[in-house]
Amino acid sequence: MIAGMRRFGGLPLIVGLACLAAQPCTAASGNQGAQLAASCASCHRPDGRDNGIPPVVGLDESRIVQSMRAYRSGERTSQIMHVVAAALSPEEIAAVAHSLAGQRPAAAP
Amino acid sequence: MNGCTRRAFGGLASAMCLACVPTRAAERRSAPRVVVIGGGAGGATVARYLAMAGKALNVTLIEPKRRYTTCFFSNLYLAGLRSFDSLTHGYEALTERYSIRVIHDRAAAIEPEAKTVRLTSGTTLPYDRLVVAPGIAFRDGAIAGYDEAATEFMPHAWIAGPQTILLRRQLEAMPDGGLFVIAAPADPFRCPPGPYERASLVAAYFKQQKPRSKILILDAKDTFFEQDLFQDAWDRHYPGMIEWLPAQFIGAIDAVEVKDRSIRTAGQVFKADVANIIPPQMAASLAQQAGLADRTGWCPVDPVTFESTLHRDVHLVGDAIIPGAMPKSAFAANSQAKACAFAIAAALTSEDDPRPFLFNTCFTFLAPDDAVSDAISFGITGGKIAITEIMISKLDESAAIRAQAVREANGWYEAFTRDIFG
Repeated sequence: MIAGMRRFGGLPLIVGLACLAAQPCTAASGNQGAQLAASCASCHRPDGRDNGIPPVVGLDESRIVQSMRAYRSGERTSQIMHVVAAALSPEEIAAVAHSLAGQRPAAAP
Repeated sequence: MNGCTRRAFGGLASAMCLACVPTRAAERRSAPRVVVIGGGAGGATVARYLAMAGKALNVTLIEPKRRYTTCFFSNLYLAGLRSFDSLTHGYEALTERYSIRVIHDRAAAIEPEAKTVRLTSGTTLPYDRLVVAPGIAFRDGAIAGYDEAATEFMPHAWIAGPQTILLRRQLEAMPDGGLFVIAAPADPFRCPPGPYERASLVAAYFKQQKPRSKILILDAKDTFFEQDLFQDAWDRHYPGMIEWLPAQFIGAIDAVEVKDRSIRTAGQVFKADVANIIPPQMAASLAQQAGLADRTGWCPVDPVTFESTLHRDVHLVGDAIIPGAMPKSAFAANSQAKACAFAIAAALTSEDDPRPFLFNTCFTFLAPDDAVSDAISFGITGGKIAITEIMISKLDESAAIRAQAVREANGWYEAFTRDIFG
C-alpha cells in the first residue's frame, strides 16, 4: 500500500484512510500482516464489541504476540486459536500482531 | 500502510470518509473493473475486500435477491431457537460504506472471450476480472420423482429461504408421534455436518414439543463427519429418538413419491410424515453453462489465486469449486474469498501477494446448550490445497466447555456476517 500511495499521491491517501474507518489495511496492500489480519475478521468484530469471543482489535502488539505463542504451545487453551497460531511462523505472528495493534475499533454500522 | 500512519491518522478517518467519496467515485470510473456474481458468503466477501483494496477498483456485485438468508445457522431456526429475520441480511452496507455497485439481477450468461457478463435484463457488463460464486445446484434426475414441484412437498431446505420456512411449518404441523425423515447425500456436498446437526436440533424441538416423535436419517454414505460426537450426543440428549441408516444397510436412495411422502431405497420404502430430501449436488447452473465446471460437475481452480483452470481472468470461490481438502462451508468460502480478492488486487496493481492463509472452522450444535467445533488450517502441497493442522472437539469434554462453544458460536455468527455483508 505504501508503494501504491506514493504512485498516486495525496488523494488516494485519503481514500486509503477512508477504508481504515471500516477495516484497516486490507487487499492490495502487499502487506502480509494486513492480509493475515483480515483472516481474524472472520471471527472477531472490527468494532471490538465481540460477544463470547475475545476482541482483538487495538490490543497491545506484544500482548498479541504473547497470546499467540501461548496458544501455539498449548499454555492457553483454545483449539481454534491453537490451529491458527500453529499455522503461522514467528514472523507472521509478529506481522499480524503489528497490524491488529494498529487498528482502531471501527464504528458499528 | 504502516502502523504508525494508522495510529496518527486513524481517528480522522471517519470525518475524511464523507469528503472523499466523490473523489473515490470519480477515480473508479477509470479503475479496473471487477464483476462478482453471487452475493453469498463467498461473493459478498470478495466484493467487500476488493472494494477495500488500497487502489480503488470498480467493483460490481450481481445478486438477484435483495436480502440474503444464510444457510448456516438455519437449523437453529428449524428448531425454533432463532428467528428467520436474524438469518437475513441486506446489501445496503456494501453499497453505502464500500461504494460497491450492487445489481439485483440474475447473470444470464458469461462470455469469457469477450470478457462480458450478460444479465437477464439485457444489460451487458464488461470486466477485467470476473469472480463467480454461484453456490450449488441439485443434480437433476439423481432421485427419481424429486423435481422442482416435489420440493414444495418434500423440501430440501439446503438453499436457505422459502424452503427453510416450509420445512419449519411442516415440522410444526406434524403430530406428536410422527416420523421425520432426512435423506443425506453422498460426498461432496455443502456443509458436511449439516444434515446431522439438523437431526440434532429438530430432536431438541421434538423433545420439548412432540416427545413421541422419531427421526430417521437415510444416508447415501457409510460414515459422516464428526460421527462419534453426534452419536454420543444423540444417546445423551435424545435416547431412542434418532436412527441413522447407512448406505450399506439401505442401498442408494432411488426415488421419492410426493403423494404419500415415501422414499424408496434399493431394498425398502420408508413413509415419512415430514421428509427432508437433501439431493446430490454440483456447481450451480451458471458455472455449468459457462464451461467453468469439469466432468465432476464442480469447478477446478488454481489453489493460490482461485482463478479457473478452464477460463483466464475468471475466478471462482465457495461451494461450487473443487478446493482440495477444504470443505464446502461458508467459512471456507469466506477464507477463499479473501485469498482471491488479494490475488486479484495484487494482479491488477502489479504488487506482490503474500502466501494465502486458508482456514476453516465450523461450530456445530448438538443441542441448544451443547456445541462443538473444528478448526483446520490448509497449505498448498503438490499443487493442491491440503490440511496442515486439524483439531476437532473431543468426546469427553465437560458441559461447561460445550456451553462455552455455544456462546462462541453465537458471537461468531455476528462477527462473520459483518465480515461478509459489512
